[in-house]
This record gives sequence, C-alpha cells and structure tokens, in this order.
Amino acid sequence: MDKLERTRNFCIVAHIDHGKSTLADRLIERTGTLAKRDMQAQLLDSMELEREKGITIKLTPTRMKYNYNGEEYILNLIDTPGHVDFTYEVSRSLQACEGAILIVDASQGVEAQTLANAYLAIDNNLEILPVINKIDLPSARPEEVKAEIEDIIGVPAGHAPCISAKDGTNIDSVLEMIVKEFPSPKGDKEGKLKCLIFDSYYDNFKGAICFVRVVDGRVKQGDKILMMQTGKTYEVTEVGYFVPNMKSCEALEAGDVGYIAASIKTISDVAVGDTITHLNAPCDNALAGYKKVQPVVYCGVFPVDGAKYNELKDALEKLKLNDASLEYQPEVSDALGFGFRCGFLGLLHLEIITERIEREFNLDIITTAPSVYYKVHKTNGSVIEISNPSDLPSPVEIEYIEEPVVKANIFTPPEYVGAVMELCQNKRGEYKGLTYLDKSRVRVDYVLPLGEIVYDFFDSLKSRTKGYASFDYSMAGFARSELVRVDVLLNGEKCDALSLIVHKDDAYSRGRVLTEKLKKIIPRQLFEVPIQAAIGNKIIARETISAMRKDVLAKCYGGDITRKRKLLEKQKEGKKRMRRIGSVEIPSEAFMTILKLDNDE
Amino acid sequence: MNKLGIYIHIPFCESKCIYCDFASFCCAEQEKDKYFQFLRKEIERCDIRGREVDTIYIGGGTPSCVEEGYLEEIIFTLKENYIFSKDMEISIECNPNSIDFEKLKKYNEFGINRISFGVQSLHDNALKTIGRLHTSEMALQAIKMAKKAGFNNINADLLIGLPNSTIGGLCEDAEKLINAGVTHISAYMLQVEEGAKLFSLVKSGKLILPSDDESVSQYDALVSFLEKRGFSRYEISNFALENFECKHNLKYWSGSEYLGFGLSAHSYLGNIRQANSRNFMDYYKGKISKEILTNEDMVEEKIMLGLRCRLGFSLKELSVLGYDITKNQNFQNFVDKGILKVEKGIVRLKPEYYGTSNYIIANLLP
Repeated sequence: MDKLERTRNFCIVAHIDHGKSTLADRLIERTGTLAKRDMQAQLLDSMELEREKGITIKLTPTRMKYNYNGEEYILNLIDTPGHVDFTYEVSRSLQACEGAILIVDASQGVEAQTLANAYLAIDNNLEILPVINKIDLPSARPEEVKAEIEDIIGVPAGHAPCISAKDGTNIDSVLEMIVKEFPSPKGDKEGKLKCLIFDSYYDNFKGAICFVRVVDGRVKQGDKILMMQTGKTYEVTEVGYFVPNMKSCEALEAGDVGYIAASIKTISDVAVGDTITHLNAPCDNALAGYKKVQPVVYCGVFPVDGAKYNELKDALEKLKLNDASLEYQPEVSDALGFGFRCGFLGLLHLEIITERIEREFNLDIITTAPSVYYKVHKTNGSVIEISNPSDLPSPVEIEYIEEPVVKANIFTPPEYVGAVMELCQNKRGEYKGLTYLDKSRVRVDYVLPLGEIVYDFFDSLKSRTKGYASFDYSMAGFARSELVRVDVLLNGEKCDALSLIVHKDDAYSRGRVLTEKLKKIIPRQLFEVPIQAAIGNKIIARETISAMRKDVLAKCYGGDITRKRKLLEKQKEGKKRMRRIGSVEIPSEAFMTILKLDNDE
Repeated sequence: MNKLGIYIHIPFCESKCIYCDFASFCCAEQEKDKYFQFLRKEIERCDIRGREVDTIYIGGGTPSCVEEGYLEEIIFTLKENYIFSKDMEISIECNPNSIDFEKLKKYNEFGINRISFGVQSLHDNALKTIGRLHTSEMALQAIKMAKKAGFNNINADLLIGLPNSTIGGLCEDAEKLINAGVTHISAYMLQVEEGAKLFSLVKSGKLILPSDDESVSQYDALVSFLEKRGFSRYEISNFALENFECKHNLKYWSGSEYLGFGLSAHSYLGNIRQANSRNFMDYYKGKISKEILTNEDMVEEKIMLGLRCRLGFSLKELSVLGYDITKNQNFQNFVDKGILKVEKGIVRLKPEYYGTSNYIIANLLP
C-alpha cells in the first residue's frame, strides 16, 4: 500500500471539558509515540497556563504510528482549543485534516460548542466520527447521547465508540475507526509543491516555524521556497514532524503534516493560511487561505509603575511572536499615562494574555474595562470605528452609532429557560427562537450585542443556570443602537480611563453602581472628594468620599527615628502604585473594579 | 560642641500592658543584677566620654519598678564619665503603682528633676482593660506625692482612643491631672502594634476600639482644651506649660545628638544612627545595628520630625543637604491650600493637619 493511503490526518473537536486533551494523551500513549515515563497529563498543553486552567490554547500536532491488519499507518493528530474565543484556531486546523473526532461527554450530551464545532467540521467537508467519552461516570447515558447526536447534529452515531479516556477504556476501537472511517489524504507527491501554513510558532534557535500540511509535492532541506501571499523567499533549513516534540526528517510529502524551518526571523513574516511553494517551480494557484482574524474585545493595558512602559512593550512583542491574533498599539491616557490599546479574540484570551504578562514577565499592569469596537456615523457623513470610549466624538457630532452583535446559541435544561431568557432580555437581546432538542435540553437562540457579552454575560449565565447552560456565539454584523458614554468625574475632573460606553437605558444604573464601587475603593484624601458619573454635562450619579482624618505615626520613642523614617519611605513607595487625577490619588485596583460591576445590583 | 542627651533603657515591668510592643520583660532579680552590671560597663566603655551632657532620660519598661540603688549607681557612673551641665534635666518614667514617697525622695536626691507618670487614663474600667496595675486614685496620689517630694516638673501620659473612651471623659482626665499639678501632658493615640496582645484582641473582635474619626475628634478636643489651660502643643503629642517642655525629647525631634544605653537603646552621633539589640543575649554580646545617614535620609528626617513639631524645618537646612523642596509640586500645592505655612524660611504644618501629618510628609519626601 502507498504511504499516502496509510496516512490519516484528523483533529479532535469537542465542547470544553469533554475530554479532548485526555483522549489525545491516550492515543499518544497507546500508539507508543512517547515512552510512558515521558507522559504527563495533557502533554499537548505545553504552556503552564494551559495545564493549570485545563484548557488548550495553541494547536499542537502529533504524528503517531499504528499497526492495523499488518500495515503501519501514520496518524497525524491536531489537538484544538475548545473555548469559543479560539474558534478561529479550530477552523484553521480543520483545513489540514480529512477527519474529525467529535467527542461528546456521555453524561452532559451535546453542548453549544459540540454543535458549533461539528458544524465547522461539516463546513470543511470533514468525515465526522462521534466518540462518546466518560462512560465511567455513574451518570453516563451513552445510548441517549448517541440519539442526541443524530437528532441535533444529524450525524450517524450508532457505531460511535463508547470510551473512557481517563481509564483508557476502548481506546483501540477509536484507533481502528480512525483508520477505517477517515479517508486518506488526496494529493500528488510528484506534483508542484503546495503546503498550507495552518499555524506558526517562534523558536529561539530556529526562528519562526511553519506548521504545514503538504497538499502536493515534496519539500526537503535546502529547497528554495516562496510564500505566495507575502512574496517572501527562504531556504529550508529543516523539515520534520511532531512526536509531539519536533523531530527532523528527510522530507515532507503530499499528505504529511509537519513543520518547515527556514531561518525566518520574525513570526510576522509567517502568514497563517499562506501557501508555501517552490521558488523555481511554483504551483499555479495558492490555496484558499484564511480570513484575517479580527479582535473582538479591546482594553487598555498600562504598567502600574509608569517607568516600566518599555518592559511592557517588550512583553507584548514577545507574546505577539506566538500569538498572531494579539493586536496592540500605543495609547496615552490622562489618568494612566503611556500604555497600549490591545485587541483580543475574547475575554478568555484577554485574561490569558494579561495573566501571562504578569507571570512570565513579572510586570504589574492595570487593565481598563473591556470594550468592543463601534461604528460611529457622524453628522458630517463620515464613519469612524472606535474601540476606546474616550475616542467617542461629542454627542452633537454623532448621527448614530452601530455596535457589533452576535448570534448566540444557548443550551440549557428546560427548567432554566425562563432564567436564560430573562438574562438575554436584560442584555438587550433579540429573541430568535427556542428549540426543544429532547426532554432534558433546550436550545435558545438570541441576537445579542457583543458589548453585553464581554461584560459579564458568562458569569451571569453560569450563576442563573447553576452552571448547566452552555453557550456559543458567532459574529453577526452591526446593529444600530442608542449608546452613550458614561464619564467619571473625580473632584470635578474627568478620568478618561474610567469611561464606559453603555446603552442609554443602562446608563443610570451603571453610573450608580460605578460611583458606589469607586467610593469603596478610593482611599480618603485630605479633602472631600465628590465622585460623579456623567453623560456629557449631565450628572447622573454622585457619591462623596469624606476627608481623611487620621494618618499619623506613633510616638518617636526612645529616639528610634529610623523605624519611623522607614515607615514613611514605605508609604512614599506605595504612592508609586497610585494614579493621580487632578489632585485625587487613585489606587491601581480602582481601574479594575469597573470590570467587575455586578449588573444585578 | 553641642551638649549631649543620654537615654537609659530599663527593660523591666511588673506586668506587660496589652498595647505594649517595646523591649520590656517581667524578670527575676538576678537578671536585673546582670543587666545593670552590663549597663554600667557599656557606659564606661563608650568612646565619647567627657562630653557635656544636659539631658538624661531614664525610660522603659518601668524604671520605677527596680531597686532605686540600681538607678543611683547608673547616675553615678554617668557623672563619672560625662560632664553634667548646670541646667541638667534628668527625667524618669514611673508607674503610679510602683512608687512611694520614700522612693520619690531618693530620686530627688539622685538629681532626678523631672517625673513622667504612665497614667494613660483616669477611668478605672479602661485601666483594667488595658492591663494597668493601678487605679485612677493611685495615679492622682502619685502626682501629689511627687510634688511633696520636691518635684515641680511632672508629666502624665494619656492614651487617646481607648475602648469606651469619650471626648468628655478624656478632657475630664486632663482637668484632674492639671488640678493635681502636672506641668506637661503627653497624649498618644493608641496604636495597634502587631507584636502586642491588643492586636489579636482587636482582630478577633474581643475588643472594640473607637474609629479613627472618633480618635481624631478626641485628639482635636483635647488639644483645644489643653490650649485653654495654658498647655501648648509643641509636638504632635506633647503639651506643656511655658518652659516645661521636655528638653530631652526635643533633642530627638530637632536632630541633636544623643547617646542611648541599654537594651534596644538608640544613639545618634554625627550622621550615624545606631541601635542596641532588643534581645538580651545579643545585647550582652554587644550586637548593634548601624545606619549611616545619607543626605537624603537626613532631609527625610528633617521634614518628618520638623512637621510634627512647633519648630518646623527651615528651607535653608534642606537646601544645604541638596533638596530644594520648593520645586516639589506637592509642596507648592500644600502651601497654596494653606496646609503648610512658610514664615521667614521656616515651614510649619498647620495644626489642623497634625492628624494627617503622615500623608502630608510622605508627599513631601524627595
């Protein structure tokens, strides 16, 4: 049998927590790709943060060997992230595969991202193999879940292996099915070189590494290659595949999944979705490629210590090396000084990046409230896009504003339908439909403003449904909306970093909650400080911090002056963490509190 | 050469008060004997013997709880090694319960001419709560005894912000003390120090203290009450009739030189601050910590100490040390708001802001 016929390229997709990474580990273990001693739980999640949060963020391909009916098969597995923020990364990996294992939790059944990911796979013409996982759980109901898959997704599931990735039950049947069910890749290894870059990674020694699926032809060390989209040319220094660490080999051929290193200096020279071909014998047409990823959530990131701006800049540059979806540009705030406006794929992405800045680069940062981007139609006929509330023009210049909206699918047990709908209505949702999937599961569809989702939608949904609901969304364009900017004034001076864009009906309640929170977190000053929330010149909420009365050192006893001086020096140091708006000092945490406004108050 | 101050630390008490985190211990007589022997040696060994001294302060702990013979020996040893100035001030801290007329007479004979009583409160419930061994009656009696024994310079310590304290109660205490004959009152706000028993009592909610705002109100009320009775505030916590200011404490606050002998005692000579260990073992081994002040340190101290006193600090002394405070934006701000007053190159904190002096000082440091 030809090598091509013995190759299977597949990925695993699932709702978050249904056991993707655990199954991947089992497959690697069962095929003997790694010695047992090198195994560690969720070994494809290489980032510390990935393992800690139990989520996969980056794509990780692995080549495995499997003997079936006396033939040795090459199985290329691409693990994918499950979180909705990273849907884009999932869709990229699908283009490198012919098959997708769709894992469904035997007790939870089909969830929002099961459906979203299954549709993604179907759209990419992949063969789908449902796998029922976690049959070791007492609440497992594999037969019902199989029926759910057939009813809801419309994929035959009668033959689906029932496994426990945790215990290693029935892993062999999965491997067998991969060989039997998934088609082998098509391709012409004698043809002109055509490779799809589906991801990239920055290696300190080898430069930017392209993760590729070879569609046609053959590529080896020393080949002169051309990136068809960017037009850049390189000489290949190394090719290889993942086991799951990088292992060099002589050549990659049509049907293979592997990597190409070519002394590429910066990761920005590697456009994910680009096609690699030979410089001297290029293929006729580039592959379709990917849409450019567009950040959906923005926030300001500032160093707590203003002097560390350059360190923050370095940190962002380094993170960007391995995360092309991170966008940032310099920003200056009256309140926070020099920093960056950063764009993220979603709130989880935002959280991960900010946590990595703090942990891996040891920098204390202030993040401002997350915001989405708005299309502002001005009275002079022009349209501007803004993501920073302080860039919003004055109300007289605005004809109307459009905000991004999403199509949201929420899966919930029937008893919470009322709670879910109430939440969606509160979040200015537009009802689209309700589908009873089976007796224990309902799908609620809404169109919701993205700005409401980035705010506290996830938390509210979880708390209202005791964690039973799952949620997925996709962008659905822009919708006109009555939005206003709420500004915060401290002692009469506007603090730009605390401004928010909200719907006008919510402005009063948000303004009130905001001023109350700030009153709690801003320490008393030498004089009374009014905190006001305002729309334009109109004050909509007000609180007052009374003047500080006591801040005095104990007696200077027995001539111990040094201790007193040290205490004052410490107090002076503490001031570095404070920001000044006019004459008011604000601790860095204050800027974070507006991220945590509880809307139910 | 400037005259020196000398501090002698007596680290012994009959019992430990709940708010105390000073170096003080309830010890056996043998330990005291050993301590005083060593203390005398420390005084004799000091390499700046022969300087003129004009203040001595015997503090603690509770100096009055040790045999007066020990104190006589110490004063004698000091006299042998230093020149005593004619206008010598010798202060001693006493607790009302460890004093009697005979003892006070002897102190007077040793040359001690200023007595400082740890009164803290004249409310018996409060005294009991904070672990004092005396009653209000004993305190007033002690003051009267001291006068009879020949002392005319008497201080009483008061605490502000004790449990269940009120403005009226505090002023009543001050009135009684003045009537009994004190010439000086030190009024400190109760501090919850992490090393003290009070800390855990407050933290566990077993003891409830007045709020910061209430304490400051008490302080403000006491200040105006005392001013009316002729006691003017010359330091944040110290009030005296004219010419009864404590010369020794003024040395600490004005940056003058002083020597400290005994456990945990501090010295300041030239630009060096030095402290003995607060642990007996290390103290006997002669362990000290030493800090050489930089110009910046000295600037910080001048601002910190000056603003807590009626004295203030001079712009000139700061600029000599290389700090032009007038270029500090906060300084200008405070001057503009009337929080700081500048008169003939001397900067003083407006009295209303004494309660928040920390905040202001921290903003003025270089």
